[in-house]
Amino acid sequence: MTTATWLLTRRTLIQFPRNPMVLGFSVPPVLMMFVVFGALFESVKRLPGLPTDNYFEYLAPAAVLMTTVPGIANAAVGLASDFQSRYLYKLLTLPVSIGSIVAGRLLADGTRLFIQAGAVLLLAIALGAQIAGGLAGALLILLLGTLFGIVTFGVLTANVALKSQDPQAVQSIFPMAFLLIFLTSAYQTEEQVPSGVLRGVIGLNPTEYVLRAMRDLTLTGFEWHSIALAFAVIVGLGLVGLPLTIRNYRSVYR
Amino acid sequence: MTSFDGERPDHEALLRELVGSEPRRLRSDHGDVIVVEALSKRYPNGTEAVRGVSFGVRSGEVFGILGPNGAGKSTTIGMLGTLVLPSGGRASVAGLDVVAQRREVRRRIGFAMQEVGVDDLATGRELLVLHGRLHGLSRREAARRAALLLELVGLGEHAAARMGDYSGGMKRRVDLASALIHLPQVVFLDEPTEGLDPRARAAIWAALAWLREALGMTIVLTTHYMEEADRLCDRIAIVERGRIVVSGTPQELKRAARAVTLEDAYLHSTGQALEVAA
Repeated sequence: MTTATWLLTRRTLIQFPRNPMVLGFSVPPVLMMFVVFGALFESVKRLPGLPTDNYFEYLAPAAVLMTTVPGIANAAVGLASDFQSRYLYKLLTLPVSIGSIVAGRLLADGTRLFIQAGAVLLLAIALGAQIAGGLAGALLILLLGTLFGIVTFGVLTANVALKSQDPQAVQSIFPMAFLLIFLTSAYQTEEQVPSGVLRGVIGLNPTEYVLRAMRDLTLTGFEWHSIALAFAVIVGLGLVGLPLTIRNYRSVYR
Repeated sequence: MTSFDGERPDHEALLRELVGSEPRRLRSDHGDVIVVEALSKRYPNGTEAVRGVSFGVRSGEVFGILGPNGAGKSTTIGMLGTLVLPSGGRASVAGLDVVAQRREVRRRIGFAMQEVGVDDLATGRELLVLHGRLHGLSRREAARRAALLLELVGLGEHAAARMGDYSGGMKRRVDLASALIHLPQVVFLDEPTEGLDPRARAAIWAALAWLREALGMTIVLTTHYMEEADRLCDRIAIVERGRIVVSGTPQELKRAARAVTLEDAYLHSTGQALEVAA
């Protein structure tokens, strides 16, 4: 990380408590959704194939993704707000790259979401879930969820912010985050999905491979093959998103 | 020296403390510090904002760009400040190309924009320290200069207040202070005193004149205010419809037009009055 990226990350971290709406309203809905979905779909555990008796244990990795993937869009909202206030142009008169400005936002929100997703895991534990991978496994679940949020929805929304310079445009694509998560085995195993087409879509969704690694860490412990696959997906998506973002940097200059 | 209110400390002492360790290091005797050759800008919507302007600015000089709204002043200064990509021609600042060596140019310039951009969630002190750190200053030096500059622009008592609570004039002053935090070789000021009350404006003029004298800072400014241009600028270029109509010292412009005031000289050169912003 460059000094500029760290200074800009720190700037956003310092400012989170000054915007209580971001902290106050980003976690409770996920916690409620976790509890409600856990209660609503509890009967799924009676179907054959679910690898645990505690549905909250099965649902916990998906709840982590529900925190980190949509939540990272706050970084892009902040970026677009900096455009609107024209502060971003002020930053561009300093010896700072747009890459550092974007990365500073993403890393700060990533740090926030890592901690907030930790609260989701703690709730899961309070509801009887056990993390087979222990503390190290739990931290790896949070890391995978955070990194995946950054390279997928974080990069996507940052590009929308760079192109549109409008917070409302960023907010309008929020539902896509839920689509990324719903089209996985987040709520029931792949075998329990009745439609063959949907199973095919799930197999093509990169989220599924990260989710599987996170679920393995929850239910069975360190499955290195699935962890390696998850990191490969994250790195691959990063390699796709980076050139796209760099291309959009130029649109910032009039 | 003019102060923002009657009870401010000695501004000259603040300025001396600010530049104490950097005596006259900015002035260079090697010709023009800014070289502009046939610079032009056509925006994607087809607007030709700047049409092949050429000029040079000598080290330590205060150079003014005057003209009505839409004349291309902000676009010209935006290209020199690396915020706007030129469509044609070339420009260098401190010997560095403003497109190819954008990052290096930014290390040497300070830029106060017409439309002030500040971070509403940050305090004035945080903004200046962050900008100083991004320019490579140590935390301690950035904090020292931030305190002096905030005092200098009359915001010492508001250093710990969030800028979202600042008035428009206060934001403009903190923006100007942030452009000076690294004591840059060249300062670009786009309508620097727009919206400031006369006392604040006079204090800014005095501070800029002092910094220029003490450090040999080169200053390029756009302004609507004739008095500002006449008082501060060594040379002036009057632009209209993206072209330089006439340039010279204020005295030369007035003499050539047989005018008493710069505004009369402007009217003589262009045949129209400046549109003074509200």
